[in-house]
Amino acid sequence: MEITSKIDGDLVQLNVSGSIDASTSPNVEQAVNAAIKGGRKRLIFDMRQVSYISSAGLRALLMAAKQAKAAGGGVAVFGLQSEVEEVFTISGFGKIVPIATSDADARAKLGA
Amino acid sequence: MTTLTLADEIVVLMLDDTIGEINPGCMNVAGVAIAGGILMELALRENIDTDLKSLFVVNPKPTGDALLDDFLAEIAAEPERHPSAWWIDTLSTRHTDLVERILARLVASGILREEERRFLWVFARRAYPQVSDREEREAKARLMSVLFNDEVPNPRDTLLLGLANSTGVLSAILSSDEQDKSAARIEEVVALEEIGRSVGLVANQVRDAMTMMLAPYH
Repeated sequence: MEITSKIDGDLVQLNVSGSIDASTSPNVEQAVNAAIKGGRKRLIFDMRQVSYISSAGLRALLMAAKQAKAAGGGVAVFGLQSEVEEVFTISGFGKIVPIATSDADARAKLGA
Repeated sequence: MTTLTLADEIVVLMLDDTIGEINPGCMNVAGVAIAGGILMELALRENIDTDLKSLFVVNPKPTGDALLDDFLAEIAAEPERHPSAWWIDTLSTRHTDLVERILARLVASGILREEERRFLWVFARRAYPQVSDREEREAKARLMSVLFNDEVPNPRDTLLLGLANSTGVLSAILSSDEQDKSAARIEEVVALEEIGRSVGLVANQVRDAMTMMLAPYH
């Protein structure tokens, strides 16, 4: 799994590739903690290269949403592959974290 | 201060303090809820993980908690992968002493005390009243906070809500007005966690089976 970030003011776009599961979710948590600590409160997850997400992965995104909201911002995701989208649909995760159609839509959903 | 596992907490919530036993309304699903709570705890400690198809071990290292480690060892020893619901059903059926084991550890940690009470002045039975109701109040406060604060819930509270909902504890805590107001939120939060959804599924199956068994007598 790899995470790269693109910062734009108080917004950060995290481009994630690979699987988000119990073994890789600490990397997500680390990236989120660093972003929030650095003053970013609006987080966008580019999920186009994420092929798999487990419950531990979903929990890491939930905690990211909790932290961002506590900082006065929020989280949005875009680019869900079909298997990941199925997980989001069944868990109703979209009710907590907005699912956007593109990076521009994700920015709009976060008011950026 | 003792840190309770989710399995401990759901037992505290299921206890009827007036009789010092698991509330009779929860008894049929108590084993399912405890098994689910143990699996949830293993998931929070990142010993296991789940997806829509299966539950699997990611770290077989013992946690130091005997009950959690029994379950972890059994899952690790299973050659085939199975869904969470299969494990909840299998482990709750295989371990028929789950309620007793949790009650014993709650007594050992000073949260409950063990008493002998008399039924019809003759028959002795063991009762487990709470030493103080601090743990119960704290767990209920967390549940209410998840339901009535518009915050993103943390995973532990999300999982506890799933257990409380599937055992009927939640509907006993909430007034009918609160139930109406929080119905959508309960559904939303319970859906978030795969193991929480599976506990609800297995608990409903157990209730349906009990209804079928009792049907000829009605």
